[in-house]
Amino acid sequence: MNANLFAELSSPAVLTALMPMLALGVGVLLFLVCEVVAVLRPLRSGVLLLALGASAVAEIALLRAERVPSLVLDGTFLADRGTALWGLVFLAAVALAWVYSRGYYRENRPFLAEHDALLLTTPVGMMMMVGANELVTFFIGLELLSLPLYALCAFRRMRAESVEAGLKYFLLGSFSSALFVFGAALLYMAAGATDFAALAEADRSSPLVLAGLALVCASLLFKVAVFPFQQWAPDVYEGSPTPITGLMATGTKAAAFGFLVVQLTPILPSSGRPLVAALALATMLLGNLGALAQRNMKRMLAYSSVAHAGTLLLLVAAGMGSLDEHGAQLAALYYLVGYLFTASGAFGLLALLEAGGTRFLELDNLRGLARSRPLVAALLALFMLSLGGIPATAGFLGKWFVFSVLVEADLIGVAVVGALLSTVALGYYLRVIVVLYMQEPLPGVPAPVLDARPGASAASLLCAALVLILGLAPALFLGLLG
Amino acid sequence: MLVLLTFLPLLGAVLIGLLPSKSESLLRLTALGVTLATAAVGLTVYARFDGANPGFQQEFLRPWFELASSAGPLQVRFHLGLDGVSILLVALTVVLMPLVVLSSYGHVHMRVKEFLVWLLVMETGMLGVFLSLDLVLFYFFWEVSLVPLYFLVGIWGGERRLYATLKFFLYTVAGSLVMLIGVIALLWKTGSANVPELLTKALLLTPAEQSWIFAAFALAFAIKVPLLPFHTWLADAHTEAPTSGSVLLAGVLLKMGTYGLLRFGIQLFPAAASEAAPLFLALGAIGIVYGALLAWAQTDLKRLIACSSVSHLGFVVLGMFALTGPGLRGAVLQMINHGLSTGLLFLLVGMVYERTHTRDLARYGGLASVMPVFALFLVFTVLSSVGLPGLNGFVGEYLILAGTFQASPFWAVVGVSGVVFGAIYLLMATRRVLFGAVTHEENRALSDLNLREVGLMLPLCVLVVWFGVQPAPFLAKCAPTLDGILERVENARAEARLALPSPSEAPVR
Repeated sequence: MNANLFAELSSPAVLTALMPMLALGVGVLLFLVCEVVAVLRPLRSGVLLLALGASAVAEIALLRAERVPSLVLDGTFLADRGTALWGLVFLAAVALAWVYSRGYYRENRPFLAEHDALLLTTPVGMMMMVGANELVTFFIGLELLSLPLYALCAFRRMRAESVEAGLKYFLLGSFSSALFVFGAALLYMAAGATDFAALAEADRSSPLVLAGLALVCASLLFKVAVFPFQQWAPDVYEGSPTPITGLMATGTKAAAFGFLVVQLTPILPSSGRPLVAALALATMLLGNLGALAQRNMKRMLAYSSVAHAGTLLLLVAAGMGSLDEHGAQLAALYYLVGYLFTASGAFGLLALLEAGGTRFLELDNLRGLARSRPLVAALLALFMLSLGGIPATAGFLGKWFVFSVLVEADLIGVAVVGALLSTVALGYYLRVIVVLYMQEPLPGVPAPVLDARPGASAASLLCAALVLILGLAPALFLGLLG
Repeated sequence: MLVLLTFLPLLGAVLIGLLPSKSESLLRLTALGVTLATAAVGLTVYARFDGANPGFQQEFLRPWFELASSAGPLQVRFHLGLDGVSILLVALTVVLMPLVVLSSYGHVHMRVKEFLVWLLVMETGMLGVFLSLDLVLFYFFWEVSLVPLYFLVGIWGGERRLYATLKFFLYTVAGSLVMLIGVIALLWKTGSANVPELLTKALLLTPAEQSWIFAAFALAFAIKVPLLPFHTWLADAHTEAPTSGSVLLAGVLLKMGTYGLLRFGIQLFPAAASEAAPLFLALGAIGIVYGALLAWAQTDLKRLIACSSVSHLGFVVLGMFALTGPGLRGAVLQMINHGLSTGLLFLLVGMVYERTHTRDLARYGGLASVMPVFALFLVFTVLSSVGLPGLNGFVGEYLILAGTFQASPFWAVVGVSGVVFGAIYLLMATRRVLFGAVTHEENRALSDLNLREVGLMLPLCVLVVWFGVQPAPFLAKCAPTLDGILERVENARAEARLALPSPSEAPVR
């Protein structure tokens, strides 16, 4: 058995499939060695970037491979063009979070090495989640992502709100993990197996299977903060270090939805459609109403992230009970890639603006920023328009693809309600633009100090460029999907 | 040619963005130059346009990206083209723009560079809407054109500009997003985004599908026009917009709604449109009277003109949904007329506001003796707006009412009463502004219009007279296309009549 496993592990097909995760894992270990050995300490950033780069190269190799390895390791792990693309999304999210975290932590001893090592672990978890072809593998991925994130959320350990965020996320996250394990156990009991092919065959009317699926879904909806599990999001998003908030909004969301849309949706019973659609619309409504009430930028973006999760859940509703005939995976990818660059860019700019010591960035702090910092204001405005889904930005085409899937699945009523709900969202995105461009600074409210390091500035410009490219020349990205 | 026309203003915007923001006169001159160049290109296109050809002309086609549809992959193209419906609107847009830039000399003194950039981006957006022959591209331009106007009103507008912009944006976007669902459904079901292809493929959809997609489109356009229950954003947006914004809003942006109704409502879905015609006739006619009454009640001169827009666009919708030859012709002419007359009115209000800093009717009075040239222009414009024979408004209104009378005498009569009301409120307002004794001493010191102001209004005045005296050459450009649309409507009606006696039979595809 062991020899078999070893032989399988060293076969080229398996190596190609696992290389992205192996590169990162080796990278984390090397990174820690560099931290311990004083001479090697300056190499840390290089090792981290090298690991991310190697993993990205491995994903691209997978994307271009003639014969895609597909299922490996006894059918527990899936690697194909789809997972490769998701992997690239995760790597981009982590890379952006890393760039923005340079210079963000101003504590006495920020423990940056630990921060980076934890950060570098998260994409392994995300890749495992999307590639998992059975429940236990998925669970390992989920925990591999969650545990570092719990610590990262609390990383500004001298600030009460950051510790609160970490604790809150940890308690609720553990709870949701428990739900997942319970659900998986029920499914195993009913189907006698944990792989999705077997689960797809299982009797969908058996209460055990239904309860198991419901628990597994509930746990995932917890992670992406979908109604009725969304209450934790604003507090955790607000308290966490801003680059980490960006990672949670983009990377975690992408991993969970990647798994939901690719693996779980086809085995969900189509009778649950109305329920999931209702949950999605309720999430959009609550997210938008919550965001409308906020003056704090991070809380507003947290609620906006909830609303976006609701929009993505519409895809799950459309695809339930059928194989991916409506291009739900493509829609989810496009939406999340667009959201990745938009939201990472927005959170990144907030991180830069907070560097001057502003603890809670309020709308009032941004008043008249267009006069003092025209470029920052222009980028932030662009990101807001993209979040709102105005054409010429990535957000628009993402929305387009989601609504296409709904129309194709004959959920036109749901699509219309969803469209109207996303109008509400423009109310708060536009308010940011109003504050930036149309209002004068308030006396007594300090203007934020911008700490723009070259890396972060370049990342922001790159995000903006990608938002526009994804909005104007979608053919480039659609070509990648084949 | 059309690509140049569409993107020349955008290039100009980039150019202005690169210029130093200190030298305002250089910025303004550049903007003027760009809009004049665009106008030259636009008028060349107009001259080359063959009015006798009812189809699309001067097309430009490039693949853009691919989508999926029920009928296989769907190529989205960068597709521009002209026909009789769009040519006059394109011409109107390019003619208005240099004048708008000129008028901004008087009232835009802060952040001039940004203003001009947004103005030029706006022009690209508007031209894109009228020229797009791909549904995706159309939607793209349709929604993008909101953003520049949002900034134009939001930064350079009046006191309540933030409220006005938000209201205008949310109203329009709500409609647009419902339309988006309609667009997606249409694309998915027909497998094409190409407007000329859709003209045949849309007819193959089931009547129910046609009806609801038509409804989704019509909602967005009705909000933009704005038709009666959706008109409240207009008064606020107009009142708070800077003069240039108002001129553009009235002159071109509202026409995007009526253009959409004609192109994607009536032309694309003739059966659904003729089914819905009674509703639109009613909304149009009631809009005429209600808008006039609203305008009558206003004390703010700019708001009054904004409300008069509701009334005038009611005429356009009335003529369009009469679905008769004269009605359609009148509707197209009236779109242009409204752009000219109301554009002029907003320019005049802007000019008097720059001098008095009030728009309150009670704060004027007797201005004719102080500003005789202004008085001359105002009286001329008002007469054109109320439809004095010999000026532009008459031709359009006459054709619309004649066309409506064939379709529905009742709503034609209601519409006629709107003409009367229109004369009352506009002439009353003119009297309060211009005639009588000077009631406010500070108004005695007002200066009359300067050469720039007269110069920028003269081209519009010439067009007003031209359209009034000799509308035939303009009508000749659009008539064959309009007759083609009418034929589609007649065919759809004939089919519906054929289908009626035996509803049990399966619909012929």
